[in-house]
Amino acid sequence: MSSTWHLEEDVLDRYVGGIAPPALAASVEAHVVGCATCRERLVPAVEPPRLDRVWEEVLERVDAPAPGPVERLLLRLGVRDDTARLLAATPSLRGAWFLSLLAVLGLALLSAHATDRGVVVFLALAPLLPVAGVAMSYSPLTDPVHELATAAPYSSLRLLVVRSAAVLTATVLLAGAAAMLLPGASWLAVAWLLPALALTAGTLALSTWFEPLHSALGLATLWLAVTAPAFAPGSDPLLVVRSGAQLVCLAVLVVALGTVAVRRDAFSLSRGRSV
Amino acid sequence: MSAVRAQGLVKAYGRKRALDGLSLTAGTGVTGLLGPNGAGKTTLLRTVATVLAPDEGQLRLLGRDTSDPKERVEIRRRLGYLPQEPGFHRSFSTFEMVDYVAVLKEQTERRARHDEVRRVLELVGLQDVSSKKVRALSGGMRRRLGLAQALLGEPELLVLDEPTAGLDPEQRMRFRDLMSRAGEDRAVLLSTHQTEDVAALCSSVVVVDRGRTLFTGTVPSLVAVAAGRVWVDEVRDASALAGWRLGSGLFHHVGNPPSGAQLVDATLEDAYLLLLGGQPAPVAA
Ligand SMILES: Nc1ncnc2c1ncn2[C@@H]1O[C@H](COP(=O)(O)OP(=O)(O)OP(=O)(O)O)[C@@H](O)[C@H]1O
Ligand SMILES: [Mg+2]
Ligand SMILES: [Zn+2]
Repeated sequence: MSSTWHLEEDVLDRYVGGIAPPALAASVEAHVVGCATCRERLVPAVEPPRLDRVWEEVLERVDAPAPGPVERLLLRLGVRDDTARLLAATPSLRGAWFLSLLAVLGLALLSAHATDRGVVVFLALAPLLPVAGVAMSYSPLTDPVHELATAAPYSSLRLLVVRSAAVLTATVLLAGAAAMLLPGASWLAVAWLLPALALTAGTLALSTWFEPLHSALGLATLWLAVTAPAFAPGSDPLLVVRSGAQLVCLAVLVVALGTVAVRRDAFSLSRGRSV
Repeated sequence: MSAVRAQGLVKAYGRKRALDGLSLTAGTGVTGLLGPNGAGKTTLLRTVATVLAPDEGQLRLLGRDTSDPKERVEIRRRLGYLPQEPGFHRSFSTFEMVDYVAVLKEQTERRARHDEVRRVLELVGLQDVSSKKVRALSGGMRRRLGLAQALLGEPELLVLDEPTAGLDPEQRMRFRDLMSRAGEDRAVLLSTHQTEDVAALCSSVVVVDRGRTLFTGTVPSLVAVAAGRVWVDEVRDASALAGWRLGSGLFHHVGNPPSGAQLVDATLEDAYLLLLGGQPAPVAA
């Protein structure tokens, strides 16, 4: 790539002297990437170590372009850049996932406002959202780099925890905001949280034996079977969020986390038939 | 110490035994894995890459035991792996994709990591497309992207599943050059269907069939299997194990030649075909 214009002498001098303002310095660097003439004019003028640094800086800007929206948000929140990169590669931290999340929450809210028992739909569906998100974040069926990640030294358990935490936070914030719009008692807005955590931890525990998405699907089916009776007229629509059910969820959560801790090595190998 | 020491590996998918008591040792240098489709090469390489745990048998890599979780991490720190069908995040740029794997390989310091990413992209000749999205790369470029990530951190053991599939001749030469240099002080285990690749760059060759090793040795010792068992003729010889028409119009045959046949020098491919054909060499009278 050759250029029809060249850097003026005084611009070059100021750059070499290290007194060019950042915007000017950036445009000098952008120009010398493509212009061999000016690069050569620059070389004798700048002491070698500084030139190396400058050249590295130029490469850095060319190669490591502005990260995507998820990564930018994470960096702004103070997440380290290597962790941000790991999270940016999470299938369930992408636009398509958030859109489907919003669609499900919208429908659940609509049904909650449409009928008396509609709130059952919300309470049955909301806990399944983090389950799906977490399972998708590390299933070999949804993570295209799963095989490479397994062969890498980075702890699979740590990757799983980092991703699950991010997915849980994002999902719970969204679903929590939606829950504020539920009709009826305000504690309903948090009542689905414990079931959500129990089901998510349960999925992690099961996936030390089975494929994560299959584990999630199995638990979701079980959960819907348990919550379905609340649809029947005459039954208690809020059964799943009463204290008895909450206690069961707490117990499941504790057992599941214990299972994950004991069987954590299972995450460091590919399970079952991979694709 | 051998870089790879496998003893009686068994790996079954349901009732199908993809590895059926396979044993193998490989040291410094390039070891080529040949075998028909479904022979178990990928299953073996996934096991050596520590992704799959064998159902039975022992596998020691770089002097460490793969069945021990802690030693497995040690091995992974010294391992580079190119799967047969590597997946990528297609919305990442080439640079970001390799950088992502570098993070998984525990390279936390940003500047050093980025320098390393640039180094491997240059090794495979992808430096000019480093800001291009992965989805916009050609198939051969994606293959080289896969190779680039395997080279991160100069691993002591390289496990490459069909690294040359889909490469143009120039890139294939570049790859051979890269591997022959890697093989000087490290262990490279690669699978291929290209016997020319093996002849050109492998110090030893392993032929796998139905989950077992059929042959282990040097390239010349495999070629020797076919010595005196390759001939040409003006007509097709139905008694040959395999035969095909050459561009010259002559028919090339491998098998047990009839007396007076016009023998020619054997290639690695001839030897490979004979080995798989399972036709025993004629007993010398
Ligand atoms: N995930 C899997 N689930 C079920 N069967 C499998 C799986 N992976 C491999 N197999 C079977 O195991 C056998 C060995 O397969 P493998 O992929 O190891 O062969 P290969 O030598 O790499 O073949 P190719 O040259 O075609 O790549 C085949 O019969 C295959 O069908
Ligand atoms: Mg294969
Ligand atoms: Zn210029």
